[in-house]
Amino acid sequence: MDLAFTPEELAFREEIRAWVKANLPSEISQKVHSAMRLSRDDLQRWAKILGKKGWLGWGWPEEFGGPGWTAVQKHLFEEECALAGAPRVVPFGPVMVAPVIMAFGNAEQQKRFLPGIASGDVWWSQGYSEPGSGSDLASLKTRAERVGNKYIVNGQKTWTTLGQYGEWIFCLVRTSNEGKPQTGISFLLIDMKTPGITVRPIKLLDGECEVNEVWFDNVEVPAENLVGEENKGWNYAKHLLAHERTNIADVNRAKRELERLKRIAKTEGVYEDMRFRDEISKLEVDIVALEMLVLRVLSAEKSGKNSLDIAGLLKIKGSEIQQRYTELMMLAAGPFSLPFIFEAMDAGWQGDFPGHEVSNAPLAANYFNMRKTTIYGGSNEVQRNIVAQVVLG
Amino acid sequence: MDFDFSDDQEQLRDAVRKWVDKGYTFDRRREITHAGGFDRAAYTELAELGLCGLYVSEDQGGMGMGPVEGMVVMEELGRGIVLEPIQHAFIAGAVLEGYAPDALKAAWLPKIAGGEAIVVLAHQERKSRYNTHKCDAQAQQQDGQWLITGTKSMVAVGDHADAFLVPAMASGKLALFLVAKEAKGCTTSGYGTQDGGRAAELQLNQSPASLLTLDGQTALSHAVDIGIACACAEGVGVMDKTMAITVDYMNTRKQFNTTIATFQALRHRVADMKMQLELGRSMSYYASLKLNTPASERHQAMARAKYQLGNSMRYVGQQSVQLHGGIGVTDEYIVSHYFKKLTQLEMTFGDTLHHLGEVSASMQETAGVFA
Repeated sequence: MDLAFTPEELAFREEIRAWVKANLPSEISQKVHSAMRLSRDDLQRWAKILGKKGWLGWGWPEEFGGPGWTAVQKHLFEEECALAGAPRVVPFGPVMVAPVIMAFGNAEQQKRFLPGIASGDVWWSQGYSEPGSGSDLASLKTRAERVGNKYIVNGQKTWTTLGQYGEWIFCLVRTSNEGKPQTGISFLLIDMKTPGITVRPIKLLDGECEVNEVWFDNVEVPAENLVGEENKGWNYAKHLLAHERTNIADVNRAKRELERLKRIAKTEGVYEDMRFRDEISKLEVDIVALEMLVLRVLSAEKSGKNSLDIAGLLKIKGSEIQQRYTELMMLAAGPFSLPFIFEAMDAGWQGDFPGHEVSNAPLAANYFNMRKTTIYGGSNEVQRNIVAQVVLG
Repeated sequence: MDFDFSDDQEQLRDAVRKWVDKGYTFDRRREITHAGGFDRAAYTELAELGLCGLYVSEDQGGMGMGPVEGMVVMEELGRGIVLEPIQHAFIAGAVLEGYAPDALKAAWLPKIAGGEAIVVLAHQERKSRYNTHKCDAQAQQQDGQWLITGTKSMVAVGDHADAFLVPAMASGKLALFLVAKEAKGCTTSGYGTQDGGRAAELQLNQSPASLLTLDGQTALSHAVDIGIACACAEGVGVMDKTMAITVDYMNTRKQFNTTIATFQALRHRVADMKMQLELGRSMSYYASLKLNTPASERHQAMARAKYQLGNSMRYVGQQSVQLHGGIGVTDEYIVSHYFKKLTQLEMTFGDTLHHLGEVSASMQETAGVFA
């Protein structure tokens, strides 16, 4: 047992730190450190910088052009990026669909799709949830009918994150109504420029359009865009979820945001208020405990011993922490988090924010936005079902 | 970064677990409680396993092991809610090794390691609660002999101990002493504790004492921090077993024609208990792995860990009783004894609010496992 990273791991961390410092544009990191609005261009710019270095697919094995890092190295990379103020990489391409294409796609598909994901040139979206299928995802109804060498897709997806920018979308579609709902689902890659696709952004409670509805009206998809076998899509989607693991806890970002919370509390004069300070302390212990949990998972992956079946716990705690730090930031600013000035969340806004502290502008919006974290990716109640299944049988 | 146990550590765990399963049954424990809450024979059995000398160097007859081995032992003893206070042998071993003059080491360490002498930390006073720097006991030198006057409370197995580690004020500064039970003016009055164990009030009236160190604050903080790491590890063991008992019960007990393990309201509570257990286990690892770091880092880590464990132990304990229903509040059934142990552990070496205050007081700009 040893808490310290190895000298090699520490040297690796230094290498990443130096590279991120030299390559992360300060206009972007400043926005991240103050939670200002990030544009599509900001996200793409950072993705392409990583892509050029070969690190956008930082979890990829070498045979597909990735760096072939260990679980610990991946963690250190994510941590250095997060602490430096890099935006979260939009995960749908490099983190979500790519591993599925690697594991279940054919050589043709790998050659066709992986380079565009690795470089950051192609924006991918995810088509899973439907109006009638949230937690009960397997009940999805979007239908793909095989006609000759094409699928004809009809139906509706929703909550498609940043789908307004999407160029390709990976979808779970129903190809059979036989047997259990899970056994009639297929995994389809769809070009979003195909006629018959309509994307409509959904305005959320914070005023932003982060998610979309996507309609499919007789959309023709070449059969070669089917990943793996027909009706096996549910298994592939589960493989994808297994790939999340420690990433979903997002503990590195939480550490960065904890520092920001302390800065805000000092500015707002509540850092010395022991009642408020204690709330920060509770969050701090939560974050250290979550980090230890993440490190335990990484250690288990490294050694292959003591496998830890606790992905559900990481999701629950990670999401609760994300909600709590945004909540405390808002409470720290108190009434000065309440003015709703949409433009003030754009970096460089020249107006005078009430209370003269423009960094308070996004606090309430961030709090409202983070309510999603206990709902998406399998709601925390679904996660509790999964945890209980492991414990109780 | 590696959280696997070595083969030697696994063997140590197996040895202690075997003793707990075979040698420290619930029936034996109940008899010990009825007989007062401490059994010297059981303590001797622990010594025969080599556990009393875990922190004592091999030169002095011990095993020369460290915090991780201590954690493994405490987890296993926690599983069996063992009453005999082996953690005080760890504390005494580490404090004497680290701070005592050679003569004192030679006089006591071999006996501690062998189990012939029980030396316990006697630091709590009525007004000090969990603050190690508050101390009313006074030490004065007379003809080259230190004499201590004061009262210490909730001293573990006080009326069975052979000597006490006693902090007292010497010329306005906290110093740490060793007082043998035979010392003139030294009296104890023992009583049972809520967990079924034993403690005592220790009265010292001009009692002769051996000086351990004049830098008592450093030594006492270290002692308490070892106690915290031990309480965390013990709590993990107790919670582990509490969960197992509760899960068993839920899969057996039927209501509304089905096992109660099928009810979602209860299943979610079990998921939350599992969360608290794993956060607690993580922070117990953290505590033990930070035990050999510089004092300020160590102290901050112990406060964080004990805060987490306090919350975890309270949640797991309370919910285990609730999930059992009526049987959970009986003395006859085992789970209430686990609940009471978890409750007592929360108030051992600083409770949750105390440690929250410590976390707040030592807060820095950055925070994390490595900061």
